[in-house]
Amino acid sequence: MSNALVPMNSNEARTGDHGELIQLVSFSLDNEEYGVDVLKVREIIRMPSITRVPNTPHYVEGVINLRGKVIPIINMRRRFGLCELEYDKQTRIMVMDVEGELMGFIVDAVSEVIRISSSEIQPSPAVVTSGIDQECIAGVINQAERLLVLLDLQKMFSQDERQLFGNL
Amino acid sequence: MPIDCEDQELLEGFLAETTELLEKLDDDLIALEKASDDPELMNRIFRSIHTVKGASSFLGFDLLVRVTHKTEDVLNRLRKGELQLTSEIMDVVLEATDLVKTLVADIKGGEIVDREINETINKLIPLLTEQPAAPAQPAAETPPPAAAEDAPASAETAAPQPEQKPAQEPPPAAAMPPAAPRPAPEAAKKPAPPKGGEKGGGDDLSDNTTVRVDVKRLDDLMNQVGELVLERNRMIQLNQDLQGGTSDHILFSEEFGKLAKRMSFVTSELQMQVLKMRMIPVEKVFKKFPRIVRSLARDLGKEVDLQIFGEETELDRSVVDEIGDPLIHLIRNAMDHGLETPDDRIAAGKQRTGTLILAAIHEGNSIIISIKDDGRGIDTDRVGRKAIEKGLITEDQLAAMSQREMFDLIFLPGFSTKDQASDLSGRGVGMDVVKTNIKKLNGLIEIKSEKGMGSEFILRLPLTLAIIQSLLVEVEGEIYSIPLASVLETLRVDQREFHVIGGQEVLKLRDMVLPLVRLEQVFNVKRCHEQDNFCYIVVIGSADKRVGLVVTRLVGQQEVAIKSLGKYLANVTGIAGSTILGDGRVALIVDPVGMVDGGEGTSGAR
Repeated sequence: MSNALVPMNSNEARTGDHGELIQLVSFSLDNEEYGVDVLKVREIIRMPSITRVPNTPHYVEGVINLRGKVIPIINMRRRFGLCELEYDKQTRIMVMDVEGELMGFIVDAVSEVIRISSSEIQPSPAVVTSGIDQECIAGVINQAERLLVLLDLQKMFSQDERQLFGNL
Repeated sequence: MPIDCEDQELLEGFLAETTELLEKLDDDLIALEKASDDPELMNRIFRSIHTVKGASSFLGFDLLVRVTHKTEDVLNRLRKGELQLTSEIMDVVLEATDLVKTLVADIKGGEIVDREINETINKLIPLLTEQPAAPAQPAAETPPPAAAEDAPASAETAAPQPEQKPAQEPPPAAAMPPAAPRPAPEAAKKPAPPKGGEKGGGDDLSDNTTVRVDVKRLDDLMNQVGELVLERNRMIQLNQDLQGGTSDHILFSEEFGKLAKRMSFVTSELQMQVLKMRMIPVEKVFKKFPRIVRSLARDLGKEVDLQIFGEETELDRSVVDEIGDPLIHLIRNAMDHGLETPDDRIAAGKQRTGTLILAAIHEGNSIIISIKDDGRGIDTDRVGRKAIEKGLITEDQLAAMSQREMFDLIFLPGFSTKDQASDLSGRGVGMDVVKTNIKKLNGLIEIKSEKGMGSEFILRLPLTLAIIQSLLVEVEGEIYSIPLASVLETLRVDQREFHVIGGQEVLKLRDMVLPLVRLEQVFNVKRCHEQDNFCYIVVIGSADKRVGLVVTRLVGQQEVAIKSLGKYLANVTGIAGSTILGDGRVALIVDPVGMVDGGEGTSGAR
């Protein structure tokens, strides 16, 4: 089943040398800056009360009620194996469209929407030290004063699902 | 050949009407066999088939017209008393009805398949011999069919249609008028249409995309919506008064309290009303059973009197769609394994004819369907032996089993008491299907059986799947919701009364030993309360097992709307879904089935 969930994805296509302009939402996680395609982000909300769901991977924080819809919440720090941090005023949930379903991702802070040209995206370096699965990194953007890691969440979840259903 | 029909609306009307008529027709025909002198019944059947014929000729469905026309002729003779109804004639008429269903299904599918209909027609013709006009008609109407080769291609949709056997292919239509009476009687003696046929036609025809709603119900709904609008206006008014300072807090809270009560009344009425619209009588499923029972009885050489009660009982469409299969399997099971042959019955001092009772009744928020026979009952010794033979259980396991557990053995996949698989049974699939489907619907199965006296299968099903009554419980500070349909009872007990058998906590509850599942362990809840000796036990049952869930506190009963957890969290063990509580928080719904099956192992291992 999970094999069918690995579509060719748009970000990958953009890593080509087209020079097309794309918009990214940038967020921070453990002092690193990340970006995701703005079209995949539905909304950004503050922390509501989360209901824990038992027997799920540790990085599934639980589920929330988003205006009558129940959506799962993923803790990105735990997902990437980073040390945990207390939620503060900056903590946000990014509600994103992952393969047609809404999912929330807890991040340290959401900073801004940036525009970049797709030619600026470089393939990620062979060794990634932060422990983030290499698979879900679509590329790196190296602008003058900042380094932005471009994430591909679709990929992350097709892999996750495999793990989830494998374990249970 | 695609359907060439200018007026789509007309066609849809035709399909809806014909489908309805055909469903009724089956029922009436079976009834007719029992009461062949009932002129009212006879006329009704005649009218139905006549209506179908008229409509199809108007719309130009030639194949359909030919079959219905001949059937009508036969029925006409029966009606006039020129022909005496025998079960052979009935077989042919039923076969023709099946063929009509297949043809209608084709039309519904949007593609008219050129089917071989002459075989059936040829069976009808000899029944018309004394009528001078009849034999000439097929020659005039029937072009030689080029269909025999086409038919197998669409065989999967053509279940009711008998297999084409070239050897028995009647001579071409042109040669028929003189010859018709002669080859056909042989055909008429051929066995009844293949079993399985009963199922095919009826199911294909039932249409679930549109609903017919009683106008009165719609009016009631409108009234309630009107009331809701009034209450909303009242709410806006109250808010304005408070904001504008014309009302103080005390008055406001009093008024608002009243409003909340009325709102809750109106919404629950509204909910009931909408729910009712989704309800259809269980008759929709039941009415195909007389036919099935009839043909099964003939195949098995048994005499069965099928009695149906409570077919007007209503339940949700989604449930109705799901119970058809399990019921068919249970009926087959009762006919095949339960009821004895007439000779055996007489030898056992019973009446020659066996009785099979199919009954439906409402009980609270569930519907109970029972299939009861007065056959030989379940022989637990034999069931136990077979289960060991098939390697499904070990001797030791069998020795430790209660009678209820032995009954449950028949639900194991691969279990069958038959040594040889027949068309009808013996593969050990049927009862497994029953169990799986009933589980899917959150239902319970109970078996009552007495050796030599018969057995009864009792299905307890929820009325609807979208909104459920649930029991809210607290487990160390977390709220969970347990479907009330699965809750059998709740008790408050002292934890010191628990016993441990092989690492599994159990409780002696009256005459049974109840395995316990600690929800806080299964769900890994962090302990936040002081250890208390007293706790609550919620006894739940799924299908045929009982388990006690240990919880900290009972919160109360609430009607909740089921929300899916989405694809990503769809397969969480022990969780069936979620719901949103009054304060906007999400509460998880415990999956009773998962608890009962998986729970024992989990808590035992810890």
